Amino acid sequence: VSVLAGDEWLRRNDYSLSEDQQSISRTFADFFRDKCPSSRVRAAEPLGFDEGLWREFLSLGAVSMAGTQTAGQPRVTLLDMALIAEQYGRYLAPLPLIEAIVCVRLLSGFRTAVARDWAVQVASGTRLVTMALQPSQRGRLHLVPAAAIADAAILFDAGELIVVTQNDQWPVVSNQASSPMAWVRNSATHSDRIVIEAGERASRLYAAAIREWKLLMAAALSGLGHGAVQLAVDYAKNRYAFGVPIGTFQAVSHSLVDATIGVEGSRNLTRKAAWFADHEHEAAPGMVAAAYMYAVESATRAATVGVHVQGGFGFTLESDAQLYFRRAEGWPVIAGDPRLELSTIADALASPQPSLKEW
Amino acid sequence: VDFSRLQVSDDVRSFWNEVRSFLTEQLNEEVKEELGRHGTGHSDQFHRALGAKGWIMPGWPLDQGGADLDPMRQYFLALELRRHDASSVPKETTAIVAEVIRRWGADQLKQDLLRQLARGDFCICLGYSEPDVGSDLAAVKTRAFRDGDDWVINGSKIYTTGAQHCRFSLLLARTNVEVPKQRGLTTFLVPLDVDGVEVHPIQTLGGERTNTVFYDQVRIPERNRLGPVDAGWQVLADPLDAEHGIGSSNEHGLDEINGQGASYVEVLRRLFIHALHWATTTQCDDGRRMLDQEPTRIRLARIAVDIEAARSTPGAMGRVIGADILIRGAAELLEMMGPTSLLLQGEDGAVEDGEIEWGHRFAQGTAIYGGTTDIHRNIVAQRILGLPRARPNPTSSQ
Repeated sequence: VSVLAGDEWLRRNDYSLSEDQQSISRTFADFFRDKCPSSRVRAAEPLGFDEGLWREFLSLGAVSMAGTQTAGQPRVTLLDMALIAEQYGRYLAPLPLIEAIVCVRLLSGFRTAVARDWAVQVASGTRLVTMALQPSQRGRLHLVPAAAIADAAILFDAGELIVVTQNDQWPVVSNQASSPMAWVRNSATHSDRIVIEAGERASRLYAAAIREWKLLMAAALSGLGHGAVQLAVDYAKNRYAFGVPIGTFQAVSHSLVDATIGVEGSRNLTRKAAWFADHEHEAAPGMVAAAYMYAVESATRAATVGVHVQGGFGFTLESDAQLYFRRAEGWPVIAGDPRLELSTIADALASPQPSLKEW
Repeated sequence: VDFSRLQVSDDVRSFWNEVRSFLTEQLNEEVKEELGRHGTGHSDQFHRALGAKGWIMPGWPLDQGGADLDPMRQYFLALELRRHDASSVPKETTAIVAEVIRRWGADQLKQDLLRQLARGDFCICLGYSEPDVGSDLAAVKTRAFRDGDDWVINGSKIYTTGAQHCRFSLLLARTNVEVPKQRGLTTFLVPLDVDGVEVHPIQTLGGERTNTVFYDQVRIPERNRLGPVDAGWQVLADPLDAEHGIGSSNEHGLDEINGQGASYVEVLRRLFIHALHWATTTQCDDGRRMLDQEPTRIRLARIAVDIEAARSTPGAMGRVIGADILIRGAAELLEMMGPTSLLLQGEDGAVEDGEIEWGHRFAQGTAIYGGTTDIHRNIVAQRILGLPRARPNPTSSQ
């Protein structure tokens, strides 16, 4: 029985994927496994973007379907997107996948022509829009994910959602994850500073977009964690010390088990949070925050275990373990301290939950 | 993936109401005291009442003493038993052994026992561990010798919880010392009311009673053997897997997915609700509620995350994390609530009437029941991650 969805004792508790969901998961697992071996991840560094892979990924339609709902077509859910993000994280794909999906969803929610135009362009892949993950201030610089490869960035400034553009690209700044992040200035004199929404609706949409970014990042991190563990498990089966595979030692196997426990739970909890976000967001406030915080924690542990199970080799750049390790924190921390989610969860707990008291 | 509210049909709702009024009626003060944490954890009267309804083995057909309940009705029955804190270890172990008898018992034994058992006439406990043998279960030393048409048992079993309420114990005994340890074991159903059986209580840190059971020249008939001679390890494979949370399916999308961990998470959730109540009703020196203090908020939120994560962790993995978060969480709550959380139930000023104080002690047992958390980690390592099995020094085995 949940503490974050107070009435949950009268709910189904079904984590299993439907056939359609399994098919999405399989399709993207196959795609990334075939197209994105670690050599391609390495080749895309330090920028962290592979344009060819991005074109191939866009052709699968995941981004274009994110924002539009064609008549007769089933709505593409956040859960579907989370399943895709799991595989993206599993193979560390050098793509602005999460930013593109979240921005398409955000922009296609507006009626203004300019926002819809941006949505269409991002969906078709002709342009890329990203977003700042913390509220912005006039005149300040903000580290924005995927900004080094984006044409525009959405900022939330004093109650307004604005789009800023830059004639030249924002220059990439070297970072632990080899992500295409860049400094974006919220300039008072910016000529291309378009307000797309203001007031209460702007705040609400921005908060929802941040929540969606964290949800998809949680999914990506659970995939990343599984990848890190798998690499380490393979190593522990094949590396011998004292005449036996090191995976027979409990100091090794139990640390791998604890890492697995974390990423398995994280994947399921994220899918659950995605279900609530799709169907009954109000029923479980704090669920995305819980999934996100737990995902960062679990992925970091998995990636750390992944490095250390490989001993000295894990500490070398030759080992793929470092690719996972640098992204486990390097992907999410741009959104700020994950522990701050606890405050969101505490707020949810402090609000009245009558059904909890029935117990 | 589906977490939607259950659509409860009128029929199911009326069954649900039947369960509720049954429990309201049956769980009088005396029975509640028996089932509660200061009681023995079992009430014979309540067990018989459940049995009369067919609710010991609720999924079994009517003619076998069950109630032929569909998964939805079984869900609501289990839910209400949990809500009313009406669980009993002997009832759970009886259900485990019932399936073993059904699969492996001789026809006569099944005819004699299964219907009675499902009707609540008696309970059965588990005789696995021994004073010198725990995690390495296949190394048990209790011996069974054939003597004419009978078997004679000698040895001792420990942590036989509920033995004082049970008519039989499932017993794992060595019948062959000439073969590797797993291949020389046989499973028996041993009556506890015969000559040579002695039940000695053991008190635990968690406040529950368990037992050592001594077997001295205990004579039992051949028909009480479950499964082939020397095949005891195979006989126990299914019940042990079930206890370890392996192979559980949740095909109806109703059950908790975290195996034995579910009941541990449930304990933590209860402690958490008490803590939330305390934090909402207790003021600190500056007049604000504890719930508005940042350290308190953070501790509570962290435990809420742990609970959600543990509920989402399947099988044997859920068992490990369930015990881990209960142990960690109970200690956190004890510290958070301060000095009066140390006071025992019934003492002046005992916070939440000693619930957290009890929980902190009780939690430690959950890392042990049904195999320690480290044994479960071994199971996950071998069966989920496919890591090679540890091969300890062979001279130390058996």
